[in-house]
Amino acid sequence: MAKKIMIVDDSTSLRQLVIMALKSQNYDVIEACDGIDALSKLSGSKIHLIISDINMPNMDGISFVKELKKNPSYKFTPVIMLTTESQEGKKREAQAAGAKAWIVKPFQPQQMLSAVAKLILP
Amino acid sequence: MLKYEDNKNLISISIINEMNIYSAAELKTLLDKLIDDKRDMEINLDGVSEIDSAGIQLLMLIKQERNNNNLRLSLVQHSNAVLDAFEFLGLVSYFNDPVLLTNRKGDLHGA
Amino acid sequence: MELDLSVVLPTFLDESREGLDELETILLHLEHNNVDHDKLNSIFRIAHTIKGSAGMFGLDEIVNFTHVVENFLDKLREGNTNITAELVELLLACGDHIRLLVQIAETQDPLDDLLVKNGSALISKLSILNGPDEDSNVKKDMVPLPDTDTERIDSEHAKNDNWHISLQLSIDTLRNGMEPLSMLHYLETLGEVISITTLGDAIPQNAEMDPESFYLRFEIIFKTTSDKQTIDDAFEFFKEGSHIAILPPNSKVSDYIALIDSSDDDERIGEILVHAGAITQTELNDALSTQYSLHMTSIEKPLGDILVEQRMSYQPVIDAAIVKQTQIRSDKSRDAASVRVDSAKLDLLINLVGELVIASAGTALNAQTTENTMLIESVSTLTTLVEEVRDSALCLRMIPIGATFTRFKRVVHDMSKELGKDIELIITGADTELDKTVVEKISDPLMHLVRNSIDHGIENIDTRQANGKSATGLIKLNAYHDSGCIIIEVNDDGAGLDKQRILTKAIDKGLVQEGQQLEDSDIYNLIFEPGFSTANEVTNISGRGVGMDVVKRNITELRGAIELDSKPGLGTNFRVRLPLTLAIIDGFLIGVSADTFVIPLDLVIECIELKEMNNSLDTSKDYINLRGEVLPLINLRTLLAIEGGLGKRQNIVVVKYGSNKAGIVVDELMGEFQTVIKPLGDIFHNVRAVSGFTVLGNGDVSLILDIPGLIQGAISNQPHILPITA
Repeated sequence: MAKKIMIVDDSTSLRQLVIMALKSQNYDVIEACDGIDALSKLSGSKIHLIISDINMPNMDGISFVKELKKNPSYKFTPVIMLTTESQEGKKREAQAAGAKAWIVKPFQPQQMLSAVAKLILP
Repeated sequence: MLKYEDNKNLISISIINEMNIYSAAELKTLLDKLIDDKRDMEINLDGVSEIDSAGIQLLMLIKQERNNNNLRLSLVQHSNAVLDAFEFLGLVSYFNDPVLLTNRKGDLHGA
Repeated sequence: MELDLSVVLPTFLDESREGLDELETILLHLEHNNVDHDKLNSIFRIAHTIKGSAGMFGLDEIVNFTHVVENFLDKLREGNTNITAELVELLLACGDHIRLLVQIAETQDPLDDLLVKNGSALISKLSILNGPDEDSNVKKDMVPLPDTDTERIDSEHAKNDNWHISLQLSIDTLRNGMEPLSMLHYLETLGEVISITTLGDAIPQNAEMDPESFYLRFEIIFKTTSDKQTIDDAFEFFKEGSHIAILPPNSKVSDYIALIDSSDDDERIGEILVHAGAITQTELNDALSTQYSLHMTSIEKPLGDILVEQRMSYQPVIDAAIVKQTQIRSDKSRDAASVRVDSAKLDLLINLVGELVIASAGTALNAQTTENTMLIESVSTLTTLVEEVRDSALCLRMIPIGATFTRFKRVVHDMSKELGKDIELIITGADTELDKTVVEKISDPLMHLVRNSIDHGIENIDTRQANGKSATGLIKLNAYHDSGCIIIEVNDDGAGLDKQRILTKAIDKGLVQEGQQLEDSDIYNLIFEPGFSTANEVTNISGRGVGMDVVKRNITELRGAIELDSKPGLGTNFRVRLPLTLAIIDGFLIGVSADTFVIPLDLVIECIELKEMNNSLDTSKDYINLRGEVLPLINLRTLLAIEGGLGKRQNIVVVKYGSNKAGIVVDELMGEFQTVIKPLGDIFHNVRAVSGFTVLGNGDVSLILDIPGLIQGAISNQPHILPITA
């Protein structure tokens, strides 16, 4: 059964690119444009991995991860944070919130797929 | 998640569905009551649809507890998911149960 | 893996341009207002997003340039730099530069030298304002997270040419959502996993064992051609609280030692080792810092020795300098609850709705003839729904005029600078919505009006002060709805139009006769006549060969109208009146002889039976007295040379456009009618009396009367209709 991945980012183009890359590896993908949207789209269904931006309107990535980790269904769901080199502090905050993996933006699709492969069983 | 049958000399446990980090805590609570049972123990893994390292180390815990107390444990009817993980992690020989090996090379000295 | 990025690229281009527009808006806002932390965060985020997405597309030029801008903005929001006019200027220029780079990404033209030079000039300006930049080295941002201490495993363990990896992962690994099995499987993509040995000796007694903690250890024999850094990267997310040892194959260790022995240049050794894949950059940094601290205690040691002594182990590297990030509060300015739709799809929908409206009108007509009340009633319900669908569909095309207005901020900013004037732009009614096509087409004429106000309207600072006005000139853009139309006003508080000069020029050009008595407003409106231009000297701003006549023509083509009002010394006000939409109107159907025509209902004031007014049917008369007012008459029968006898009675439909009224003489009043406007072919381009046609419910074609044109004709008493000259 295909693994399901959620991408949360407010940039439509980035989402599209990520989706395209993930689908090329036969992952199922759902998308959300911010933390609120993501939480509403999760609703208990099984997700194997979440990729989330930090800077987003409405609900940022860190608050999102904090909420996510409160939900027993997603307590152990790995989260990859999209960070930038200028966000070292944010990254630590995200890690404290429970997002232990990260990709530094900008990244090539291949980098992202590697990060995903490290966290998700084939 | 877990069923068991009591026989005279054998306690037969079946673990079903997922053996992963999400089910590990609950599974351990259920197993806690059985782990010290003096009878021979058989765990049927036929229904395990998915196993991760949390599931693996739970099985290793049981094996270890049973060994320390000189009690018997056999794992039977490994599902493909379990077999794949055992072979990959080189654990077939550790549990030392008869299994049908596939052609993975991770566990050449197994069984 | 090959991905076709071109599919997603247009989204990136749109998104970037939107971001850049927003950036510009905020910068111009910052220039005139107090520093607002939220706004600074927003512009930072814009640069951040553009850089991020550009990186995904491999658009390195955009990434490199935007990176510098982003860093600069990051500092800016920490409040280290004052926001001056020069700074805004510079950032605007940076925005423009990014826009050009985005443009190039679209056209895939090669980068020209000028652009490259421009970019580096901007970067050096930014760095001057920025002061010493500790983050100037882009590569430095790849500083790894804290690594971990490593337990050394004797090299005998590493057999043959295989790497040996020893993993003692953090007890929290599983709790953190990390699955070691996934990472181990990932290793298989880098080489061949010869064997994995899983050790459970760290699993505690049952009572102490927490099933969500992680106790297993792995010893892995691994064969690969990858270097150590690549192997190390496989564990990047598992490092926190873990002990990871990666031992190179035996043969290689000896190679490394030989390398170290043969060189006395420490820095080069480090490079060579990293290059050869023997150690990671982290390990090198570590060794270098050890060397440095030894040096401080007067012990000199070759780097090679240190590396060997440390047995290539890791030490935590924490670069505290880079942790200086303030909170980025979430920016609520963008409404995420919208959907992007191809405008062609929308147009198709509107078209279909148009057909639906026609079909529904036809059904209603047919229903009427059956005299079946049940049918008539249900058709009437249907018609109501169709009307609602029409309204909703048209709303989809409606966008606020605000974005167009905002674009003028930049024009005002740039031009006033160029002309040495001080001008503030005030925008009201930016939320007023109108049809997307109208917005697109009105942009240029409005731009011209704004430029005109800046160039000719607002005086120089000296002149203004001499006349007792404030040094800052005001240009106001305003939009609002008014009886089915949208009014857009461009208003300045400048010198006003020079009546005498306009008149003189108009006489010169033969537009009016000398001695002709003209109202002030008539004189002002002369500037819309073809070939009229008032500027004594043509500046490079408005002297583009486009006169006010073109503005007027463009607006007329949108079925709109423009009028102006000016007061000497106080300023000028242009008022543009536009229809809300181009597609469907509420029409009023009239009949003349056997023909039917549509008059836009918005323009109809009242209907009068001509007989009541005037017993003698004097059709030659071209005006009547309507309650003491002179109402010019437009007789369609004569105007359009319609044959056939007069109807039983004659009616007058009083229409009003702008401030002018006229009466249209018709035979029959047929009531309201949903009119889907279909444009006339090019061949009818010069026919002024009709503006389009529509299909009636019964399939007949009906012409839509061009009321503004007709009124204009009736008032000026010029020929009402031009012959087809095209």
